[in-house]
Amino acid sequence: MKNSKARDFIHKFSIYIILVAMFIICAIVNDNFLSARNLINVARQLSVGTILAYGEMLLVIAGLIDLSVGSVLALAGVLSIAAYQSTGSLLVGFLVAIAVGVACNFINAILVTHFDVPAFIATLAMQMSARGAALRFTNGQNLLQLKDYTVFGQGNLGPIPMPVVFMIIITIITWYIMTHTRFGRSLYAIGGNEGAAIASGINVKRNKYIIYIINGIFAGIAGVLFMSRVNAGLPNGAVGYEMEGLTATIVGGTSFSGGVGTTMGTLAGGFIIGFLNNIMNLMGVDSYVQQIVKGIIIALAVVADIRSKNKKTQKVILAADDNDDKKEKAAAK
Amino acid sequence: MRVSGINKSFPGVKALDNVNFAVRKGTVHALCGENGAGKSTLMKIINGIYKADSGQIFLDEKPVTIKDPIQARDYGIAMIAQELNYVPEMSIEENLFLGRLPVTKFGNVDWKRVRRETIEFLRQENLPYKPDQKLKTLTVSDIQMLEIIKAISNNAQIVIMDEPTSAITNREVEVLFGKIAELKKKGVSIIYISHKMEEVFRIADDITVLRDGKTVETHPASEIDLDKVIALMVGRKMDNVYPKEEVEIGEPILEIEGLGSKGVFKDINFKANKGEIVGFAGLMGAGRTETMRAIFGLDPYDEGKIKVHGKEVTIKKVSDSIAQKVVMLSEDRRRYGIIPIRSVMENASISSLDKIIYGGRWHPKVEKELVSKYFEKMHVKTPSLETAIQGLSGGNQQKVLLAKWMLRDPDVLILDEPTRGIDVGAKFEIYRLMTDLVKEGKTVIMVSSELPELIGMCDRIYIMNKGRITGCLSKDEFSQETIMRYAM
Amino acid sequence: MKKKVISAILCAAMVSTMAVGCSSSDSKKDSKSDKKDGYKVAYIARAQEDSFAAWLADEMRAAFKKTGDMSLEVFDGEANDEKENSIIENCIANGYDGIIVQANNGEAQLPYIQQIVEADIPCITTNPRVECEGTGSVDADPYEQAKVNCELALKKIPKNAKVVVLQGPAGNFHSTKRREAWKKEFFDKRSDVKILAEDIANWNKDEAMQLMEDWVQAYGKIDAVISMNDNMAAGAIEAVKDNAKYKNMQAYGVDGTAEACLLIKEGKMTSTGLQSAIDLAKMNTEAMHDVLTGKKKVTDINDNVPAPLITSDNVDEYIQMYKDNGQIKE
Repeated sequence: MKNSKARDFIHKFSIYIILVAMFIICAIVNDNFLSARNLINVARQLSVGTILAYGEMLLVIAGLIDLSVGSVLALAGVLSIAAYQSTGSLLVGFLVAIAVGVACNFINAILVTHFDVPAFIATLAMQMSARGAALRFTNGQNLLQLKDYTVFGQGNLGPIPMPVVFMIIITIITWYIMTHTRFGRSLYAIGGNEGAAIASGINVKRNKYIIYIINGIFAGIAGVLFMSRVNAGLPNGAVGYEMEGLTATIVGGTSFSGGVGTTMGTLAGGFIIGFLNNIMNLMGVDSYVQQIVKGIIIALAVVADIRSKNKKTQKVILAADDNDDKKEKAAAK
Repeated sequence: MRVSGINKSFPGVKALDNVNFAVRKGTVHALCGENGAGKSTLMKIINGIYKADSGQIFLDEKPVTIKDPIQARDYGIAMIAQELNYVPEMSIEENLFLGRLPVTKFGNVDWKRVRRETIEFLRQENLPYKPDQKLKTLTVSDIQMLEIIKAISNNAQIVIMDEPTSAITNREVEVLFGKIAELKKKGVSIIYISHKMEEVFRIADDITVLRDGKTVETHPASEIDLDKVIALMVGRKMDNVYPKEEVEIGEPILEIEGLGSKGVFKDINFKANKGEIVGFAGLMGAGRTETMRAIFGLDPYDEGKIKVHGKEVTIKKVSDSIAQKVVMLSEDRRRYGIIPIRSVMENASISSLDKIIYGGRWHPKVEKELVSKYFEKMHVKTPSLETAIQGLSGGNQQKVLLAKWMLRDPDVLILDEPTRGIDVGAKFEIYRLMTDLVKEGKTVIMVSSELPELIGMCDRIYIMNKGRITGCLSKDEFSQETIMRYAM
Repeated sequence: MKKKVISAILCAAMVSTMAVGCSSSDSKKDSKSDKKDGYKVAYIARAQEDSFAAWLADEMRAAFKKTGDMSLEVFDGEANDEKENSIIENCIANGYDGIIVQANNGEAQLPYIQQIVEADIPCITTNPRVECEGTGSVDADPYEQAKVNCELALKKIPKNAKVVVLQGPAGNFHSTKRREAWKKEFFDKRSDVKILAEDIANWNKDEAMQLMEDWVQAYGKIDAVISMNDNMAAGAIEAVKDNAKYKNMQAYGVDGTAEACLLIKEGKMTSTGLQSAIDLAKMNTEAMHDVLTGKKKVTDINDNVPAPLITSDNVDEYIQMYKDNGQIKE
């Protein structure tokens, strides 16, 4: 019995154990890894991906997905910079990014909930359109001379880089949504079994709109951080960032079949991916090999997810039977 | 066929413990037992899906080893599973010849022969279908019939039927029983698994009871009665199958006036009173489920009024009816009931989030107390509150879902086929809960295809046919014959 | 009902696009029979997503407009060989008077460029040049663009310097050629210089920035960044912008983008070899005009745009150029 408790513990916290193990290994294999500068560096690098991962997490838990987030980020980013350049107001720039993110995702939500387009297809369409819009708007050229706009991505709040500040705030918001709101709780039900969620009185359609809108807000913020960090409006930037976000989400234990996932798991997933990228660059691993390694990590994460799920179910069924038997026997006596 | 000394263990539990039983040629042998008693495991061993740890299977007194279902088929063993596995997009003929398509001398599929033989089969069985019709256009019972035909066309000598009547109407059950009689005449043996005792006693020649993975007793059906079988199954004596108590009937709580939905149901009028259990009988497809779904806000309705406590209400979505304290337990537990991967606690609290998340915070303690309270009341058996609901037996899942609605303290509880596919013990507890509820002054509406339970539990029974209410019987008028007359 | 509405909208969209497509091809046929309207030329761009290719396409449009007797239609190959090849086929079928191809991948487009030649349509390949009999070419030589940087770097990069190298996408023609120039014209001559790290940043500023951030942590001191384009050089510079230790770091790029010019002006970047879309477009336009008016044979066209080196000495001239076309404000 004790043994199985230990196993449960390991299972429940496996992602954090992997994270800690990885941290230790990184520290051992490379002297520079543990330097404060490098750690701040890693945190700054992984913040955009992790913010996107939270949006994807909400969606994947509810059985949805967003493949458009990289493109929407770019569109929101370039429009935000243009707004800033023409008004000179950072606030306007910031709000435009959020508005663009929300608008694109509102369209995603309409397609998904109203016209029953599979989320995969609807957001794939948005991926193309948003990217096209970003390129059209800039004529394919990078926007330059960002001036004060870089404060979002390059500034610091005390010792903490601004992107990390945003990531921490969004982590807390996401955690709060998932654990302390009825909306968050409903997402698990929607992704776990939509029919049952409807029959339990959950307004599934409205909730899907809300998820996409939150995802849009996150995408907009990520767009501001991304562009201001690189000090340019890159209409062809962040290609494939939806995969960055999804990878962190899935590695962090969110089930691709919906209904399962936690904020802290996703945060851990984001850090695992961030550490991995960082250590491979520190060690001078070439980018071909990096791709191979990342592919393997994703495959392993999903295999682990599926295996643990199967085992858990089997164990539980037997345990329930076991329990039944015991109680029955006790009752008989 | 005979099996002897079969043992099978799964990690942590002994599923079968020295099981013995024998099936005589040309007879129906019923296998009874509660869920988890080992019936399915035993059948899977016979069908070659599982391998026994020890023990022997004999066919015509010759020891055989069955490695997989294909080998089982070669030995003349066919299994018709409870959950019919079929590809909806497949045509009848493809399904019928699945895995054994005849080939011409050139090695290509002989579709002409397939077509010819399929037409012949369909004609013999009086099934009004075309060979190239897709399976999804057929009714469940006809698909089942096809499975049986398939088994016979494979020259099966032993046909295993696992809960064959769980999804078909009474009339279709008659057709099935006719078929079984025909098979018996041909010398085919049938192993029949069912929770429905009436059926077992109608068709079984022998009855074997399994409990906790052991064969308890085998008797010829003529030498044993219902109470004895149930006592053997649960290991103790059950005094009364239907724990109905007399409750004072009060004023109407739910009144439906002229409810209709185009092409589905029409002109539905009924009342359900305080303290009353109202039954809804009818054949499958009579519109009972559809009517209840509309009242609950799952489907829209075009016309008519719904009154709760005498006041007209608008029900557009499920949350509207929950607000009126009218709730419904769906017949389709998998689609509209459980959220498989989430814990039993979350499944129970999902409709009462306002009671556990308020003031901007989640109150886990409140949730735990609330859920535990109703689980105790409902006798839910679960290893822990964190256990995923998919790990529970059907009966326990059903009790969790009932607890979910009890948390909302409903005035009207609509139960659609609440006892389908669950074992005798759990059935009894659900009946008892219904009794408790009406004693507290609630109203229960029970839709069921099992007439004995309607007759045993209800105060009034409405009968539906082709989307209309065709009759309403009060307690002194109850009889299976009368109900069936209105239903057809 | 919903489905009906959607399908109706879809049908309408399809019909209208078809109508637009048909009418434009009709007008082309007319123009062919009546040359007074001017010559119809097709330009098949590699990918509108690529900022240089997009700029080139813009400059092509502008340059053709100025000629008065030629009109240009631009197509987008979307960085996809198959797409680009089918556009070529369509252009042949649509009877353009001349076709300019910016190959995505020379090998893959070669058979289709041969089809253009067989159809007797004058064809110019540009940026990159595709070697194919019967065609002409106008190009900016990537080797040359990097070489001008190398000449400066030979003088400027200190002895025993430690450098990092940033490459474009794997297998990219321009990246490969530029890297080859750096090897032959610099690294082979300066065996004292050590390459600390070298990786692919896919022409991207953000990827180069992240690589550089990590390299700074790993190697402590880097004397120079050698980048196969300006975008990546700018990313590397961005990563060390506020780091006092890197104040004197040198950075070399290629392309001569507006951003690179600004960085050179600020003293953060050392030099870049200009690949001028304006010049490239101008030469393409002139060459095509000469061919269509019979002044030259297409096979005689074999030009290279000059690749001037931009340094702090002459950067103002180029900043003015970008101010004129609006890419730099003020």
